[in-house]
Amino acid sequence: MRDRRPLYLMTPALGWLTAFMVVPCLLILGLAFFRRGLYGGIEYTLTWENIRLVFDPLYAGIFLKSAWIAGLSALIAVVLGYAAAYAIAAMPRRHQPLLLFFAVLPFWSNYLVRTYAWIVLLNREGLIVHLARLLGFEGELPSMLYTETAVVVGLVYNYLPFVILACYAPLSRLNPEVSEASRDLGAGGWTTFRRVVLPMTVPGIATGFTFVFVLSIGNFVTPALLGGGQFQMIGNLVYAQFLTANDWPFGAALSIFLIAIMMGLLTLQTFASEKASGGRNA
Amino acid sequence: MTLLSLQNLQKDFGKMRAVDDVSLDIAGNEFFALLGASGSGKTTLLRMLAGFELPSAGRILLDGRDIAQIPPNKRPVNLMFQSYALFPHMSVAKNIAYGLEMEHLPRAEIRSRVGDILETIQLSALANRKPDQLSGGQRQRVALARALVKRPRLLLLDEPLGALDKKLRGDMQLELKRIQADFGITFIVVTHDQEEALVMADRIAILKDGALLQVGTPHDIYEHPTSRFAADFIGVMNFFPVHSDGTILRADDGTQIAAPIPPGLTGAAIAAIRPERLHLDGYASENALTARVTALAYHGLDLQLHVETPLSPRPVILRLTADQAESRAPRPGDTVTLGWSARDTRVFPA
Ligand SMILES: Nc1ncnc2c1ncn2[C@@H]1O[C@H](COP(=O)(O)OP(=O)(O)OP(=O)(O)O)[C@@H](O)[C@H]1O
Ligand SMILES: [Mg+2]
Repeated sequence: MRDRRPLYLMTPALGWLTAFMVVPCLLILGLAFFRRGLYGGIEYTLTWENIRLVFDPLYAGIFLKSAWIAGLSALIAVVLGYAAAYAIAAMPRRHQPLLLFFAVLPFWSNYLVRTYAWIVLLNREGLIVHLARLLGFEGELPSMLYTETAVVVGLVYNYLPFVILACYAPLSRLNPEVSEASRDLGAGGWTTFRRVVLPMTVPGIATGFTFVFVLSIGNFVTPALLGGGQFQMIGNLVYAQFLTANDWPFGAALSIFLIAIMMGLLTLQTFASEKASGGRNA
Repeated sequence: MTLLSLQNLQKDFGKMRAVDDVSLDIAGNEFFALLGASGSGKTTLLRMLAGFELPSAGRILLDGRDIAQIPPNKRPVNLMFQSYALFPHMSVAKNIAYGLEMEHLPRAEIRSRVGDILETIQLSALANRKPDQLSGGQRQRVALARALVKRPRLLLLDEPLGALDKKLRGDMQLELKRIQADFGITFIVVTHDQEEALVMADRIAILKDGALLQVGTPHDIYEHPTSRFAADFIGVMNFFPVHSDGTILRADDGTQIAAPIPPGLTGAAIAAIRPERLHLDGYASENALTARVTALAYHGLDLQLHVETPLSPRPVILRLTADQAESRAPRPGDTVTLGWSARDTRVFPA
């Protein structure tokens, strides 16, 4: 007989998720197959039109653009975050909690405030331009605010703490003797990193990458603030369908694809880290 | 031929002196055991030899060349870690091949050497398993093979049998010795199991608080310990508090004890005698003593007898072979006469 008590303990959480997550998702799913009413609202006749429209080059292009920006942000965040996590894990044990605390500190402040801070920095008369002038840079500086770069910078900045935490976990758990064994067997520092440390910490990298990608591809605040009005990512598109264009069915159809991409990635990541942890520290 | 020469080697961690003025010569092809209690500096000493710790003072000469500054990946020395430290994401065969790949050997040679060594350690069938799919004993053998396959000049083994159960340990002790002889590689094995050191080693060094207490063959160390600590650490030993006036040794109750007294030893001292050197019916011995049996402990091969004597508050332990025990086994409460020879008695300063 298996102990069923854990099941009871899960019930409140499951109930909550069902009521506020599964049900709305199902509603959205249903919505996607109806027609948009003439003046907004919904006309209850079934149609594939919304789904077909998602594949229209205009919208598919926005999907691809969003994936590109999310992927680029995730990649940069992983490189920066892994390096930071590696450095923290290499410090004396007793300093590590404080360093982690500082790395994660920005995360506890308001998302909007943090993003606005970048407007101040990237602005045509902002700090970075001033700094460049101070260093003797002459002539016209390209505008940094309201560009794709600004969006990527904002996304990386916002989600970096996630990546640091995700990469720190496996790095701090590494048995230092495993790296030493590699050195002992004749490998230099770089080879040891590439062939031993890196493969053993892939789960952290995968988790960090997926998190940043998933959170970035659906993000609409950062593109709106740092990308300016014209710059659209898929999140902005969905936002607009629901709140300004009043086309709920098409917004629903877009959302479904967005959710599908996220779920696919998360499943893949769970799978990958499951497989990688076939190699727990021996 | 001296392979390794340690000269006044020392290692400090802050105020803590982990290795204290160790000087030692180890010959090529020797099976050398480092024996010491937990925290006595065994691992630290090995780590200096492997290149993971820089000596605070002293020199490490390998073939006459000072290697103290050479990084671990450039030394012809390999270390088998106390934790085994296998690569969890690589198969058994990949783990073993790793060190050979670092030498950029041709693929064919790597394959054949890995195959050979897998055969030696009898793990060919498990070549494609990952370390976490192996038992403790199998992991231990993979770690050994991984270090051995590089054919180092010197192989350092940190508690190689520490994680194994008693039966398997016994088998592996002989196995290690056989492999060492076959490969002709110098082994330095760290252990805190004195029996293991006695069984395997050509020579043993006893470490205490980072310093060498005694170096010698197992026979030397067992029969002629030079300190009370060494006598106590290796095997079972009976101790009696005694008093020496330079020529005569007396126990606390006045009994005279015949024993070779080290020159110049006067005042409080300790006499020591091994359980197997004591016998019953010892009327004719140089030392004879009436004692009362308090307990019997059956050990399979032999019988240990605990007897009460006026010489010390602790029971004296006496060992009878199964033969002796069967012909006339004493029972608790019996009065017996203990006897032993003067030359089997060791005397140390108190
Ligand atoms: N990196 C270090 N920093 C500070 N002290 C250390 C360090 N490494 C070892 N020590 C100290 O040095 C002493 C010797 O340690 P060592 O690990 O060499 O002992 P050992 O004989 O291998 O013990 P065991 O049998 O428990 O493995 C111990 O007191 C230990 O606390
Ligand atoms: Mg140790």
